[in-house]
Amino acid sequence: MTALGIAQILIFFALIFICVKPLGAYMARVFEGERTFLHPVLRWLEVLAYKAGGVREDEEQHWTRYTACVLSFSIFGFLLMYLFQRLQGFLPFNPQHFGTAQVPPDLAFNTSTSFVTNTNWQAYSGESTLSYFAQMAALTVQNFVSAAAGIAIAIAVVRGFALHEMRTIGNFWVDMTRAAVYVLLPISIAGGLFLCSRGVIQNLKPYTQVATVEGGTQTIAQGPVASQEVIKELGTNGGGFFNANSAHPFENPTPGTDLFEMWLLLVISASLTYTFGKMVGDTRQGWAVFAAFLIMSLGGVFICYGFEQEGNPILAKLGLQTAATANQPGGNMEGKEVRLGVPNSTLWATVTTDTSCGAVNAMHDSLLPIAGLVPLLNMMTDIVIFGGVGAGLYGILIYAILAVFIAGLMVGRTPEYLGKKLEQKEVKMAMLAIIVTSASILIFSGVSTQAHFAPKGYWNSPGPATANLGNDGPHGLSEILYAYTSSTGNNGSAFAGINANTPWYNLTLGLAQLIGRFLFLIPILAAAGSLAAKKKTPVTSGTFPTHGPLFVGLLIGTVLIVAVLTYFPAVSLGPIVENYLMHAGRLF
Amino acid sequence: MWKQLLPGLRINIFVTIVFGVVYPLAMTGLCQVFFPHRANGSLITVGGKAVGSELIGQNFSKPEYFHPRPSEAGNGYDATASGGSNLGPTSAKLVLGTVKTDKNHEAVDFDGVSLRVVHYCVENGIPYESSEPLGRFRDAGGNLDDVKLIEAFNDKKAPLVFRAKEPIPADAVTASGSGLDPDISPANAAIQAARVAKARDIPVEQARQLVARFTQEPTFGVLGEPRVNVLELNLALDRQFPAK
Repeated sequence: MTALGIAQILIFFALIFICVKPLGAYMARVFEGERTFLHPVLRWLEVLAYKAGGVREDEEQHWTRYTACVLSFSIFGFLLMYLFQRLQGFLPFNPQHFGTAQVPPDLAFNTSTSFVTNTNWQAYSGESTLSYFAQMAALTVQNFVSAAAGIAIAIAVVRGFALHEMRTIGNFWVDMTRAAVYVLLPISIAGGLFLCSRGVIQNLKPYTQVATVEGGTQTIAQGPVASQEVIKELGTNGGGFFNANSAHPFENPTPGTDLFEMWLLLVISASLTYTFGKMVGDTRQGWAVFAAFLIMSLGGVFICYGFEQEGNPILAKLGLQTAATANQPGGNMEGKEVRLGVPNSTLWATVTTDTSCGAVNAMHDSLLPIAGLVPLLNMMTDIVIFGGVGAGLYGILIYAILAVFIAGLMVGRTPEYLGKKLEQKEVKMAMLAIIVTSASILIFSGVSTQAHFAPKGYWNSPGPATANLGNDGPHGLSEILYAYTSSTGNNGSAFAGINANTPWYNLTLGLAQLIGRFLFLIPILAAAGSLAAKKKTPVTSGTFPTHGPLFVGLLIGTVLIVAVLTYFPAVSLGPIVENYLMHAGRLF
Repeated sequence: MWKQLLPGLRINIFVTIVFGVVYPLAMTGLCQVFFPHRANGSLITVGGKAVGSELIGQNFSKPEYFHPRPSEAGNGYDATASGGSNLGPTSAKLVLGTVKTDKNHEAVDFDGVSLRVVHYCVENGIPYESSEPLGRFRDAGGNLDDVKLIEAFNDKKAPLVFRAKEPIPADAVTASGSGLDPDISPANAAIQAARVAKARDIPVEQARQLVARFTQEPTFGVLGEPRVNVLELNLALDRQFPAK
């Protein structure tokens, strides 16, 4: 690790930290329906949305109704996305003449579930598959609204704690619209312009052909990238316009844009902790959650950076320089960009998997074993270290319920969190959410390591499903495990050596995305509904305080223990054994 | 039932229009007005013709030019097929390379870091040690036979062991994530300066000075890494020291 590398990491977290309170307080005002400084400019758009949707702003919804609206919104979003992709050949803004041949039904299904669930896993290469219209009307739209829906759900869950003796937890249409109009849109417009000013392209032209200096030709892909790039990060979506995602110089041209894009992808999730504290009437509760996030995230960054900077010992034997010097980066540069280097690549790899973003600025598949274990473990915590916009907050509240429950068992008291008694129903719902996601990851991965396909079948090329892997040995297992973890966690980053664009992988990964989104959020909305109906329990001297270091430690412990107990056998056969074999010089 | 579901459809249509059509088109308009050069790909023109983008790397293989990093985008610097190798640290393909047999002709399928190290040492006059003399792998024209070298690296019984005796900058022999990396490290450029100077028949010092002039330091002294843009450097070379 170099001093400059550590400085870059600390600068990044400092930039996040100073935004938590202002942005968090702003969001609290937005979702409590108060006027903000942007209302004079944007209120008309919000009202127009209600008119267009035929919904009433003042209507309050029971949790079942709220959930039904989430589902209805997602289903229609899915259908529109599917149609826009399949029909792209007949729609405008298609200078490269992409048609249905590029998007078979299984791929269109996978991409649609992927973007609707805020996963943005991509089994295709953007620049050779999708028209500009599909990128804009299908992908960019879901980048906005799947993120807005996540924020809305988080706000509803927070209301479960904040309200008492209420049957309702807010109105989904109102929460979603406000998130999109007052939070996502203004930052996207300003941020998109900034990105374009630094070199991110924004045009609707056909691909440009140039005559290179040595006398060859090069075709340069174009497109409306900046408008999608900014919301891709801000909404923790992560689906790249181009195959190389944010490693592509047209998506992420300079170290400055790199820092800005990382800030975008973490800032809402971090600030929502303050919104949460504000809405439950005790900002210390929000800071406690933020502290837990920050500690886990910093731990991950420095493990990832430290191991990656050591470089690959097998390549060092050929004479490669692994120590950083003033004029070369050292470390493991396979899959990394020179302008970003090792510290920015590992910082990005960590925060993109802390959140559900999944955009990458370096190829995770080429990370050294323990450095690659960090993103994998981040996602195995159900993505609750900062987490996706909204999804991270409601995810960590599940773990908070669990942590308080465990503490309650230890002292023999009925557990309470934020003045609400946690009873059978809430704990059951929290456990359900955690078990369903781990089952999805382990069962799908297990089946894929064993599945075998007949000749001339529809599902995959004949032979074992593991033939689709890009690496052999333990790294191959990591690829499969990463794919299902990323999909179930709605992250979308990949160990991209795996060829996942076959019906088998498209459909099972699509299912994993649906399970990870909806079977996680429905239990937590159910718990929120039941919490909102409860009476507020007065704080007594026997109440376990949930704003101090003890609670932060307990929360981190719960997250880590659940992840390690569930996944240790699997990761020990993947990255951990690979690390030992790499140092022994074994190749596969 | 429909009354509950219908807002889902209607709001989806509304957001498609706002975020899927109006927003990206308005952004396109604004960017085209304020940052036309950037919005259209930061293209570099020489004599009125576009020769590339300052942000996108392109292939250089002649000795009189600085060479970019190895690229896994398509067949190398294909700006319609961005991507990296996605090979892990224990991949034999990454370290040793692979050959593929098509009909009677064998061809290099993946060159591998070992082969790149050999070429980098030979091209730039870096001392090395090899378990077998490299002369054995040269064809009649004196060029290194890549297929034979890769087969020797992969030989199970007595593999070819090759090692550079001076440290090689990691970026020189590894592929970037995008396959379109426009930059190389200053150390990599400094090593190549000797070869370029010789090919252009100019003093090494002049080539090194040019590299120093095109070295970009980290933003604000702290963000990112020092780097040299290969296309801009080579264009400057052609302007100042036209090849004979």
